Amino acid sequence: MICRPALTRGSQLALRRQGAAKLAQRGFAAVASPTASYEPTTIAGVKVASRDDNGPTTRLAIVAKAGTRYEPAPGLTVGLEEYAFKNTEKRSALRITRESELLGGQLSAYHTREALVLQANFLREDLPYFTELLAEVLSQTRYTTHEYHEEVQQVIQLKQAKVDAAAVALDAAHSAAFHTGLGEPLYPTPNTPISSYLNEHAVAAFAEAAYTKNTIAVIADGASQTGLSKWIEPFFKTVPAQSSTPLTTAASKYHGGEQRIPKIGGNAMVIAFPGAALGANQPEISVLVGLLGGESGIKWSPGFSLLSNATSASPGATAKAANFAYSDAGLLAIQIKGAAPAVRKVAEEAVKSLKSVAEGGVSQETLAKAIAKAKFNLLSASEVTGTGMVHAGANLIHGGQPLQVAETVKALEGVTGDKLKAAAKTLLEGKASVAAVGDLHVLPFAEDLGLKV
Amino acid sequence: MSAPSLISFVLKRPWLANMLKPVANTYVNAAGYRQMGLWADDLILEEDETVLQALNRLSPRQRYDRLYRIRRATQLSLQHKLLPKNEWTKPEEDVPYLQPILEQLIAEAKEKQQLDTLAVLKKH
Repeated sequence: MICRPALTRGSQLALRRQGAAKLAQRGFAAVASPTASYEPTTIAGVKVASRDDNGPTTRLAIVAKAGTRYEPAPGLTVGLEEYAFKNTEKRSALRITRESELLGGQLSAYHTREALVLQANFLREDLPYFTELLAEVLSQTRYTTHEYHEEVQQVIQLKQAKVDAAAVALDAAHSAAFHTGLGEPLYPTPNTPISSYLNEHAVAAFAEAAYTKNTIAVIADGASQTGLSKWIEPFFKTVPAQSSTPLTTAASKYHGGEQRIPKIGGNAMVIAFPGAALGANQPEISVLVGLLGGESGIKWSPGFSLLSNATSASPGATAKAANFAYSDAGLLAIQIKGAAPAVRKVAEEAVKSLKSVAEGGVSQETLAKAIAKAKFNLLSASEVTGTGMVHAGANLIHGGQPLQVAETVKALEGVTGDKLKAAAKTLLEGKASVAAVGDLHVLPFAEDLGLKV
Repeated sequence: MSAPSLISFVLKRPWLANMLKPVANTYVNAAGYRQMGLWADDLILEEDETVLQALNRLSPRQRYDRLYRIRRATQLSLQHKLLPKNEWTKPEEDVPYLQPILEQLIAEAKEKQQLDTLAVLKKH
């Protein structure tokens, strides 16, 4: 046996690496990670959902009930998003950036219509550092005036300039469908008057109402349960249990209608119907999304989906279907973009194909493909970090349970042609939400497409 | 801004501060800026990147008042006049409004410098 000091530095390192690599390895006898779903718990009053695949990296996210649905005035959510990881009482924004760079971490902040997400991706052993950082951002950010003028405002203006026709159309469809709440735009356009509402004091007041133990959830992917319970308890002490001025919201109600917005430099249409809410038992909506599809899953072929076949005759145009699921409502949307004549043609084709589904024109084989696609969408979304985390968090802060993958898959398999036909029929008989953005001389009205608004 | 100062040394010793207070007041009166309605922080040299940035961080009201005081003082200087005695800056009005921001900016720059020249010590 060679004694350790006799070895060169390189071999000493190699010896140590072996030990470190064991973490990520799994012996033949060990069970593969069975936890596809997030396990919900409560640690020191904070709702936590975690899953652990024993991998070398961890993703830790705070999902706060502070999406555009809950903002008391336009623009506050984006303001709060830009203030994430800025100066806190304890350290400066620069120090936060440099320290997490030294640890190889990535910090990001983004929002959906319902949730604001502060996320940190890092190496497994740095859990204490990043738990402390996220808690500090929640409770001790200073919301200084100079940062607002020098950084936050500038970044918001740059991001506003990037809002394209497709995003405007989706916002307009939400606005027609839900009016307020979920109908608020996801990102204010340069034409949205936000300057009178958005300032550092309003953002600080919104943060006070939104960053409380009641309204946040901590989602951990790849962190051990023991580590979480050990570190969340001391660091999240500074986060208040509840706010003195809690945010109020009304339940979502589907209205439906039509919006037409002239815009230079891009054409987009969104045709939307009431869809499935988070946790709602409506597997036929997921299958319908799989059937409408849009983006081909295989190369050199449009695939089986109805929308990709509708776009194959109009090169340059793209169309895709998606179900936007929120806590108490959903929106099944067909998003089309491209040159104006192509968008018009695809929109007509899309409605035609939806009508053919309602008349029962779906073969058994296509249905099987659609169910398989819906299953893949579900499983890959729950696996892909990001989507899965946001969904788990959104469910927790709204009092639901994280997605139970196995049950949902079983429900998808039970969808029959008749159920699908009935679902499509209900959609077409109800009121649609249609948004057209771009060259309105060419883009059709909802009535021309044969939809009720 | 970078002139050596004994202020912290003096302030730590109350007996010394009390002893020097009358001398300081005499000096301030002799400097004569209060007779022209200026505040001490108005005298900070503007031709400096850090000071310019600090001026940007003032609130609109502070910026307006500062410009007003400077313009009035310039006018007085041209006319070889002083303000009437009741309009002189009172000692309690003469508060530092720019100095704290300036110190904050200097601290930021110093922290950046330290982080930029950081040496990472490997543990192995």
